[in-house]
Amino acid sequence: MLSRFAFRSVQYSRPLMGVRCSQTVAASGERAVTASEERDEVRFPRPVRAEFPDKVRHGFIPEEWFQFFYKKTGVTGPYTFGVGLATYFISKEIYVLEHEFYNGISLFIMAVFAVKKFGPKVAAYLDKEVDEVANSWKHEREDEITSLGDTVVAEKKEQWRAEGQKDLFAAKRENVALQLEAAYRERLTIAFNEVKRRLDYQVERQNIDRRIAHKHMVTWVIQNVLKSISPQQEKESLAKCIVDLRGLAKA
Amino acid sequence: MMSNLFSVFDPSTNMFNTSMNWLSTMLGLLIIPTMMWMIPSRNNAAWNKTMKKMHEELKTLLGTKKINNGSTLMFTSLFSMILMNNTLGLFPYIFTSTSHLTLTLTMALPLWTSFMMFGWINNTKHMLTHLVPQGTPPILMPFMVCIETISNIIRPGTLAIRLTANMIAGHLLMTLLGENGSSMAYSMISILIITQIALLTLETAVAIIQSYVFAVLSTLYSSEIN
Repeated sequence: MLSRFAFRSVQYSRPLMGVRCSQTVAASGERAVTASEERDEVRFPRPVRAEFPDKVRHGFIPEEWFQFFYKKTGVTGPYTFGVGLATYFISKEIYVLEHEFYNGISLFIMAVFAVKKFGPKVAAYLDKEVDEVANSWKHEREDEITSLGDTVVAEKKEQWRAEGQKDLFAAKRENVALQLEAAYRERLTIAFNEVKRRLDYQVERQNIDRRIAHKHMVTWVIQNVLKSISPQQEKESLAKCIVDLRGLAKA
Repeated sequence: MMSNLFSVFDPSTNMFNTSMNWLSTMLGLLIIPTMMWMIPSRNNAAWNKTMKKMHEELKTLLGTKKINNGSTLMFTSLFSMILMNNTLGLFPYIFTSTSHLTLTLTMALPLWTSFMMFGWINNTKHMLTHLVPQGTPPILMPFMVCIETISNIIRPGTLAIRLTANMIAGHLLMTLLGENGSSMAYSMISILIITQIALLTLETAVAIIQSYVFAVLSTLYSSEIN
């Protein structure tokens, strides 16, 4: 209750006992030291959310007040101070015991009873509420991380698929090249055949010309030989032939 | 000791003759928990739960008309102000500002007047028809109009005085009991304390209930004009 008046240095250098969650730097206690440090984390540490309320003695007096007295006066210091101050005020009637005082006593007894009886139950119920909110934040964060991880995996898969497309392009290119080659070869054969046909024609013509010339020459030679055969020679050859034949017939 | 029984309620915290009592009206603002982290602390969670509960309660009373959207905001904050003032007044030496008609009338009268003026100017027929409740036998109708009109007119008075009277009654009893404590034998003081504890329990309940009642009645009056 009086913790808002606790001393500043103690409040901020409180040891981090059982801090559960929500450091403003990413989880698990590692400090992310960036190259450009925007904030000196050593001398100006980031505030951390405390898990439990500060320590109090007798329910409403902060522990730091007792520590303040401890060095000079030991353990009984604060109590002596309190009792002495109260006695002084009451005896000198600086603080008058009037109706408010008795109301205050009744209220105090009521408050102590209520805190002792209902305190733990109310605290447990409120802790549950707080946990709900904390868990919802945590789950949201974790869900976001898993969904982002899934997105990364899906992206990698897509990249792998895109690379596969390259092979496809090469195959297609090869296909087209093959087709072009086949068409070229076909046209080559056609051209060859045509040329061969024309050349064959020329060869045939030459052959025919030679044959006709040969035939003509033979005919001319035979005609000339026949012309040159005189009738005398003809009669002699015929008589010889008949003699040969008679000889053959006898044999 | 006391010139007048009610003089305990006089503003008496002086600073150069201006009474600083009324600052206790704003004391509740310091008590309302604030949030530093996105995750609420226990106090925060308790306050958020209370506010949500009030919002839901008043929402059902306001119905579904579009013109009533957002009205719960005003009545919930009215509730929290009166709650803070009432409960803080139970502590010793804290002035209960809601036990004075000046504060409660200041809250009730402008509310009621604005509702009536808006309702009568914009929805005259509707307001007139509501002066006769459903199911009255025809012979009683003129009287019903009279009665309803009167009950309508005294509404700000009832709102204010209900709150003031409840606060004053409790405080007066406690004060009277307490005054006798200083002149009592020590053996009797335990009985006194026990009685006072009983009264305080009652008064805490009354404080919370009265603030709730004020807020709910204001909500009902506002929902009637449409």
